[in-house]
Amino acid sequence: MSVKIRFFARFRELLGTDVLATPAPGMTLSGLVKDVAGENKEGYDAIFDEQGAFREFVILMRNTKRVDTADAEKILVTDGDEVAVFPPVAGG
Amino acid sequence: MITERERERYKRQMMLFGDEGQEKLKKAHIFIAGAGGLGSPVSIYLGVAGVGHITIVDMDVVDQSNLNRQILHFDRDVGKKKTASAEEKLREINPDIVVTARDEKIDETNADQMIGTADGIVDAMDNFTTRYLLNDVALRKKIPLFHGAIRGFYGQATTILPGKSPCLACIFPKAPPKEVFPVVGVTPGCIGMIQATEVLKYLLGRGNLLTGRLFIWDGLESRSEEICVEANSCCAACGTGKPRGRELRLN
Repeated sequence: MSVKIRFFARFRELLGTDVLATPAPGMTLSGLVKDVAGENKEGYDAIFDEQGAFREFVILMRNTKRVDTADAEKILVTDGDEVAVFPPVAGG
Repeated sequence: MITERERERYKRQMMLFGDEGQEKLKKAHIFIAGAGGLGSPVSIYLGVAGVGHITIVDMDVVDQSNLNRQILHFDRDVGKKKTASAEEKLREINPDIVVTARDEKIDETNADQMIGTADGIVDAMDNFTTRYLLNDVALRKKIPLFHGAIRGFYGQATTILPGKSPCLACIFPKAPPKEVFPVVGVTPGCIGMIQATEVLKYLLGRGNLLTGRLFIWDGLESRSEEICVEANSCCAACGTGKPRGRELRLN
């Protein structure tokens, strides 16, 4: 199974723009992002809190549809998925 | 009526939208929340385009560290109220428009009255607490909110049309953490131009607005992308659709 994870903005600096991954069957959306983000501690910490939950402001998309990060632990990744992880910014 | 002097000033853009379009801009009142990194380019460009009445609100004093991006304010303005500096520059930039500058903090007690009968709100704030408040007012008054935000080389923008698009709280249910954000002036310049373009399009009734779309700018990659955003049926602010709680109670 092959999927693509797209990071945006600051996440992109830490983890790369487009990351291709080959997760095992049964992998959840949350598990996939954790695996890929785990390559860089700073990148992982920017996305996940100390309990391993998505930080509450993170926007997660799967195949252009918004996914509630609270549901990401239950959703299974399927072949060809494109997952986007985006950190909104607040400055002006 | 467009005066001869205005006709000459706006000649090149009236080639795009004629007397009718210029009249629409002249009759419009736009409320700009913030005279900082985003508020500076937005107010300057709406001012030169001839948006007839601009209200700009800020509570801060110009600091030396603002000058790398807040292009309404000059070195000589350090220590001056941002509103006084903004009013002076905008009047010089275009004496044919009305500028109201308000040196106040926008909060829930004054936001409705301050925004009054404005035709739209530009979100040029630096914090989500006030942004959510502006979103609430936009929803109540059924006027658009032109959102923009930046950090470093990155920015985002979207246009909220109450009842027709997701609201700010649908798109960002949780605010990013507060911080002293790094920024280089070109980033609010880019995002401010997206916001100002949206305002002009809305007032002119031209083109397609950034409704239901979140525009994302990556200055380091020189890449812009957009993600589709949808109304959240459980949104606490706009209450679109059926809240989850009500469904449960009905069951």
